[in-house]
Amino acid sequence: MDFLGTILWPLKWVVELLLVGWHWLLTSFGMDSGAGLTWVLSIVGLVLVVRTALIPLFVKQIKNQRRMMEVAPQLKKIQDKYKGKRDQLSREAMSRETMALYKNTGTNPLGSCLPLLVQMPIFFSLFSVLNGAQNSKAGVGPLNATLAKEFGEAKLFGNAPLHASFQSAMNDPAGPQTIVMVIAAIMVVIMTASQFITQLQIVSKNMSDETKASPMFRQQRILLYILPFVFLFSGFAFPLGVMFYWLTTNIWTMVQQFLIIRSMPMPGSEAAREREARLARKGKLEPKKEADTIVIEERKPAQRQQPMGKNRAKKAGAPQQPGSSAQPNKNDPQSGNGSSNNSPRK
Amino acid sequence: MIVLDTLLLVPRNLGLAILMVYRRLISPLYGDVCRYYPSCSAYTLGSIQQRGLLLGSLRGAIRIVRCNPWAAGGIDDVPPKIHFRYTLTTHGFVVATTQRKV
Repeated sequence: MDFLGTILWPLKWVVELLLVGWHWLLTSFGMDSGAGLTWVLSIVGLVLVVRTALIPLFVKQIKNQRRMMEVAPQLKKIQDKYKGKRDQLSREAMSRETMALYKNTGTNPLGSCLPLLVQMPIFFSLFSVLNGAQNSKAGVGPLNATLAKEFGEAKLFGNAPLHASFQSAMNDPAGPQTIVMVIAAIMVVIMTASQFITQLQIVSKNMSDETKASPMFRQQRILLYILPFVFLFSGFAFPLGVMFYWLTTNIWTMVQQFLIIRSMPMPGSEAAREREARLARKGKLEPKKEADTIVIEERKPAQRQQPMGKNRAKKAGAPQQPGSSAQPNKNDPQSGNGSSNNSPRK
Repeated sequence: MIVLDTLLLVPRNLGLAILMVYRRLISPLYGDVCRYYPSCSAYTLGSIQQRGLLLGSLRGAIRIVRCNPWAAGGIDDVPPKIHFRYTLTTHGFVVATTQRKV
């Protein structure tokens, strides 16, 4: 525990600084220093800062996903090679070749594992800050004893301290604290719902048909419906303050995910097809292609290649699903670099 | 000897069991994330199989740090241990061999 405390110390310090900073800002706007709302908004502010700091990572990932279109033909070659092969060995070989292709072309569209872990220490830090505040224990840095006490004691709706959890309220020696329990229950439900929607968006819309064809997929779908219940029960032990962090960050993720899936879906997924259809309905699809062509022509006088590329794209695009047809279009031979930089901007 | 080996393998197999549960239940929630092949959890699984709980986890942790947004990714297999003296079951657990290789 002490070992963990030492590792988390810097993060805890930053979490406290952000919390106290937001709290100072809010009180200087005239909000009550000890009010529950002030501290809840401070937690929301903390989430805003953390998630804003993570945005560049997502932007980078999106850029990489766009660059993936450059390698779409090679990717398709690999996919065709393993078409209809469902056994594990083939699937592994396919992932292996795909990864090698990403690396060799520098177009890895995947997010990376480390950022997934970034949230966890913050979560723990906030948890330990709140836990300490419960005993009016000062934090490691900016959160002094007075503020810590205020934070822990801050009450929502007059009677729900932020350090209380559903569990602690239920076992309160002075009898069950109904308000805390109601707030906690509502938050757990909203939290679980937002988590569920986020996952559902990914699983049902943003997975390529290749992934959906894998034997793991059916299992993933079942899990999707079981896991909310796991969250439902684990959520009851967290203090309200931590739950507010969790809830806000979940809602942020949900909205971000929605925007990303809508504007930059995984190629070959249902969301990509929907986007094509949406653009086609608005009549934006054709002009967009023309705009692309014009830009390329302006940039590169290599006009002789253009009709060739278009033809090829049509040939390749016609028998396929609309979702994947976009890739060869944007991926005209030789002009790949120029067009991929311009195509995202309509 | 086998008994001793089996006892020595307990922490490793416990770690493997936890990782397998994670890979079964939690990992699918994230979808495809890892920039490497095999994925970070598969890599850690393999490392623990080869080198035991402590060294394997350490290698896995280093791999996760490597798996950051600035990494190129690609194929990154578990370096096999040269004198691996155990056998793997079909489920991926490590058991002591009845006949020690000479």
